[in-house]
Amino acid sequence: MSNSILTSSPIAAARHALGWHKAKRLARDHITFIVFGLITLFFILHAPNFASLATANAIGRITAVVSIMAVGMTMVIMCREIDLSVGALASLSAMVGAMLMQTGIAPWLSIPVMTAFGALIGLVNGLIVTRLRIPSFLVTLGMLSILSGTALTLTDSLPVPIGDRTLGKIMANGTLIGLPAAVWWTVVFALAGIYVLHLSVIGRQMAATGGNEAAARFSGIDVDRAKVVAFAVCGACASFAGYMLAARASAGNPSVGVGLELNVIAAVIIGGTSLFGGRGSVIGSVIGAIFIGILAFGLVVIGLSTTIQEIVKGVIIILAVSLNRR
Amino acid sequence: MSPADNPLPALVSMRGIVKRFGANIVLRTVDFEVRAGEVHALLGENGAGKSTLMKVLLGIHKPDEGTILVRGEPLASVSTRARLDAGVAMIFQELSLVPAMSVADNLFLGREPVLFGGRIDRRRIRREAAELIAKQGFALDPDARIEDLPFAARQQVEILKALSRGASVIVMDEPTSSLTVREEEVLHATIAQLRGAGIGIVYISHRMSEIFRVADRLSIIKDGQIQGPFATDQITIPEVSRLMARSASVVVMKPQARREPGEIVLEVVGLSTARKLRDIGLAVRAGEIVGIAGLVGSGRSTLAKALFGLLLDARGDVRLCGREIGALATPPRIRAGMALVPEDRRAEGLVAQHSLAANVALPNLAELTSRWPGVLSWRRETEMFLGFREALHIACREPAQPASELSGGNQQKVVFAKWFASNPKLLILDEPTAGVDVNAKAEMRALVLQAAEKGMAVLLITSELDELAGLADRLIYMVDGQLVAGEATARGEEEIRTVLQQLAVTHEAA
Repeated sequence: MSNSILTSSPIAAARHALGWHKAKRLARDHITFIVFGLITLFFILHAPNFASLATANAIGRITAVVSIMAVGMTMVIMCREIDLSVGALASLSAMVGAMLMQTGIAPWLSIPVMTAFGALIGLVNGLIVTRLRIPSFLVTLGMLSILSGTALTLTDSLPVPIGDRTLGKIMANGTLIGLPAAVWWTVVFALAGIYVLHLSVIGRQMAATGGNEAAARFSGIDVDRAKVVAFAVCGACASFAGYMLAARASAGNPSVGVGLELNVIAAVIIGGTSLFGGRGSVIGSVIGAIFIGILAFGLVVIGLSTTIQEIVKGVIIILAVSLNRR
Repeated sequence: MSPADNPLPALVSMRGIVKRFGANIVLRTVDFEVRAGEVHALLGENGAGKSTLMKVLLGIHKPDEGTILVRGEPLASVSTRARLDAGVAMIFQELSLVPAMSVADNLFLGREPVLFGGRIDRRRIRREAAELIAKQGFALDPDARIEDLPFAARQQVEILKALSRGASVIVMDEPTSSLTVREEEVLHATIAQLRGAGIGIVYISHRMSEIFRVADRLSIIKDGQIQGPFATDQITIPEVSRLMARSASVVVMKPQARREPGEIVLEVVGLSTARKLRDIGLAVRAGEIVGIAGLVGSGRSTLAKALFGLLLDARGDVRLCGREIGALATPPRIRAGMALVPEDRRAEGLVAQHSLAANVALPNLAELTSRWPGVLSWRRETEMFLGFREALHIACREPAQPASELSGGNQQKVVFAKWFASNPKLLILDEPTAGVDVNAKAEMRALVLQAAEKGMAVLLITSELDELAGLADRLIYMVDGQLVAGEATARGEEEIRTVLQQLAVTHEAA
């Protein structure tokens, strides 16, 4: 096919058209990643010392929280549902985790306990959505209020210090083979997410549920169970991420997760997951989260004031999502 | 009689309309016209192309070829708005009225007269609505709320709405399907009045007797081709039935080797739902095809869904191979050996954006796991699809191709494949050949026979009477949520049609 343009046979022309079509489709499907690459390139060229391992580590550390939450959110959105309560759950988990550490629990044991705590909250979300047939938008909006209110009430809005240093090392600040712990956790969650969503039966059931709920039901898929599992995983991720924030700051802060849900949802959508369910990828969501991180970091490095930053970030997010719409 | 003999001018005339959906040709060079003051009936089985033709007329679909003339002028724009302006309107089965608003408000919905400052001129709406009603001589109260009105009155509001927008051609799609006998009389009087006023009416109905009472001319659509128009006083019901029946070459003939029915696979006793089904009892044996005949809305699809465990309000005994499964949800019923090819392929049968292989795998995920716990084997999934691709001749590019890209017939084959792969004991088919082209229909029917030959019990629900006549070993009639007339042994297509019409009449009278 090297001289396909020269050959005038209709078959060759058709094949050439098909190749062109494929390339075009590939470009369209990954347009956000192309934009992402271009913006990164812009920062590399215009921001001093942007292309360095230190920068990469810093970005990896600050985006770990959103990345991990986005893994869980991808599953919920795959099911054509939404979870607005993840930011509030992160706040509550930071508080509950810090208070748990005050009881003198072993740091390594507190991590699975907090993850299970988040899964439990997610389970409640999922059960309300599927049993009471209330749209997840409303259920999790209510839950957002309940969880953030609880986080603030626990200590009357005061932060809870964490005296133990090992927790901070395990969760965020320690390094292994030159990479920060936060980055390792991101990798672990991303791999687990890929396993669940793209390789396992339950992941396929989530995709079918979001892709066409009626057809999934008619195929004998337990649609409600798929959704409940997605919400539980999402809760577990959010809680872990919130606890990571507390460990990093050595204190549980009741408002640490405020607004995080918007960044998480933006990361998932930028990553190519359809807001209408049935289509998406965990790795895309993580890339989306890193993109948001690079954007924030790069804008600081080129010296934009933090107020203008927010505006630029918003515009770029809208642009990225509009390009990614299918 | 040729159109030239008739003095009445054509209000709308469609010439050489061709409409394709992908590879599927739905309309093949169709001519259709409506004259002032005539009722032109349009007949055809489900999926023959009636509704597509009407959607082309209304500008919902753009024809691939052909022209539409309104009072001799070609219509340039395809928008529905343009059709409304040109005077073509449709009275839908599902009426497009706002239930919580009054008759007058509905009549002026979207074009309310306004006073200074953008306030709606309620007094004028009321006055003009009353004038409109009086002009047509309808017994309607302009202040009555739509939700409080009987169905026939709502229909009158729809008709008034169309007339007030200057409609000269009104399409009525199954207008009597939701009416009582008395309301039907009201409708027929209304139609007579409209006809007297020079309005052209397209009348779509399944009920032959009604068409002969109401219509001046009739045309028949079959597999995308139109026959007629025939004047109703120059043709008889049997002749029309014969024209509607498919040509012999298309019909799958009954296999000469009779299948021997085996053990009872499905046994249903006293199955009811809150609204639709009443005391259903039936049995299907292995290797037997039992056909369920019934008019649209008789509850056949509801029965299929109830059997499959999709309706929460279903009560009664359902036994599959002797095992009581009446209280189970859908997944355990599938594991017990049930399969359902649903009525609406796109909405219920397929996840259109997902790959073909993923669609076939969907009910069979438990069998497709690899050595790792709970992990799908993509290789086995692909192999499963490729096996059926060959066996069912599914025309596609690759297993990873999205299901949405296939033609209707091939999509339906994928739905068949996903259930054949689950190796069911009972196969429930709800309109398995709806909306697929002639050849695919024949292939689909061959598949149904194949399933029965393999020893599956088959419950076949279809509106295509030749399909029932050609495939079913035994027929059950369904009217208004009940199985009636025992288990009749009517064979021929026309015989089935006659029985159905008689049942409908006797049931309405009762």
